[in-house]
Amino acid sequence: MTDREKLALLEDMLELDEGDLTADMALDDIDEYDSMAKLSLIVLMEDEFDVKLTGDVIKGFETVGDIVALMNK
Amino acid sequence: MAFFHYNNIHISGVASAVPTQRVAVESFADAFGRETVEKFSKMTGVKEFRKTLTHQTASDLGFVAAENLLTQKNIDRDEIGALVFIAHSVDYRRPATACVLHKRLGLSKECATFDIGLGCSATVYGLQVVGSMMANSDISKALLITGESLTKMVNPGDKSVAMLFGDGASAVLLEKKEGSELDVLLRTDGNGYNAIIAPAGGYRNMDAPRKDELWPDGNVRNLYNTYMNGTDVFSFTISEVPAAIRDFIRETNVGIEEYDCFAFHQANKYILKQLSKKFKIPMEKIPECMDRFGNTSAPAVTMALCDRYGESQGELIKTMFCCFGVGLSWGVASAVISTDDILPIVETDEIFEEGIINEPF
Repeated sequence: MTDREKLALLEDMLELDEGDLTADMALDDIDEYDSMAKLSLIVLMEDEFDVKLTGDVIKGFETVGDIVALMNK
Repeated sequence: MAFFHYNNIHISGVASAVPTQRVAVESFADAFGRETVEKFSKMTGVKEFRKTLTHQTASDLGFVAAENLLTQKNIDRDEIGALVFIAHSVDYRRPATACVLHKRLGLSKECATFDIGLGCSATVYGLQVVGSMMANSDISKALLITGESLTKMVNPGDKSVAMLFGDGASAVLLEKKEGSELDVLLRTDGNGYNAIIAPAGGYRNMDAPRKDELWPDGNVRNLYNTYMNGTDVFSFTISEVPAAIRDFIRETNVGIEEYDCFAFHQANKYILKQLSKKFKIPMEKIPECMDRFGNTSAPAVTMALCDRYGESQGELIKTMFCCFGVGLSWGVASAVISTDDILPIVETDEIFEEGIINEPF
């Protein structure tokens, strides 16, 4: 999976348009990245990448790229 | 694997009771903001929950549910050979609340009676314990009572739980019946002991200050209140619960499509949707009552059954129970239940006045 495809998964999850996200964007600046989106992220990472996210890991995310870096396929 | 199979053990009655007092989630709009409250309701599905009166406890609700069940089913109380009460919301630090219920229900001295300290997983653990006791004795009838009064330990300033938890109780009657089957799978991960916790008030920290403080998650609570790390609990649920269901299906060799009803823990609607999606279960096969009763922990799955089937007659439903939460503790169980044996939820202001002890005696 390319980085662009990984960003597309996040755009879909956050109900954003294609191309809205870049890896260097700060998560704090994305209104759609709220508590509900974090639950959706847990599901996405578990279903698509078999990665278990804990609250601490999610708290450590600063940029979109931090999430993409854990998408390991 | 902690997988158990019992022959000839039957669930022959399910009843539930809730307090009369209602709390609308909307009423938190001033405290937390309308947008937060609306978002919360959309995600969790909770619109309202029930709250016990000051001296009303989970056992009062459990008593009413059990009394209703024994009366409606016309059960001879001397035939009840075991009473197990499962809750964190007990009446006293000692004695076991089950003993108080034993007295109130007028059960015989030939009745094994005790408490188990579990919350969300109460029903599946209770079915295993009671099933096992019956399978290894001449006990022909037993009562499992589950209940919680979560609202008593929630800080009104904690938006992670103040709008989520409600109070309620259930009573389940188990009987020996030829041809019946009960299957149970039980699991635990004690590493998550502090994912849902009331840190003070037990024997490890009996006299902690009752001072409300702002916690790092942005919520106000004191050490006697229930804290929940919602993200970690959600993450656990999304990975461990489906794995347990898959293992249960493998052990029982009964497929998802063979079940009529999935009595899943009423954690929140979002989790139920995820489980429905994962196992391709139609949402209409998953009874929901958290919209009106919130997450009641221990009795949630049986309350959902009473809510869905309380007025139904003449159907046999193959039911999968799946309970998960505080502990962390979870499990899956299955049984065939007649809707004739499932009673509608009753409301009550019942309080065991004699049990409120404020004076030397």
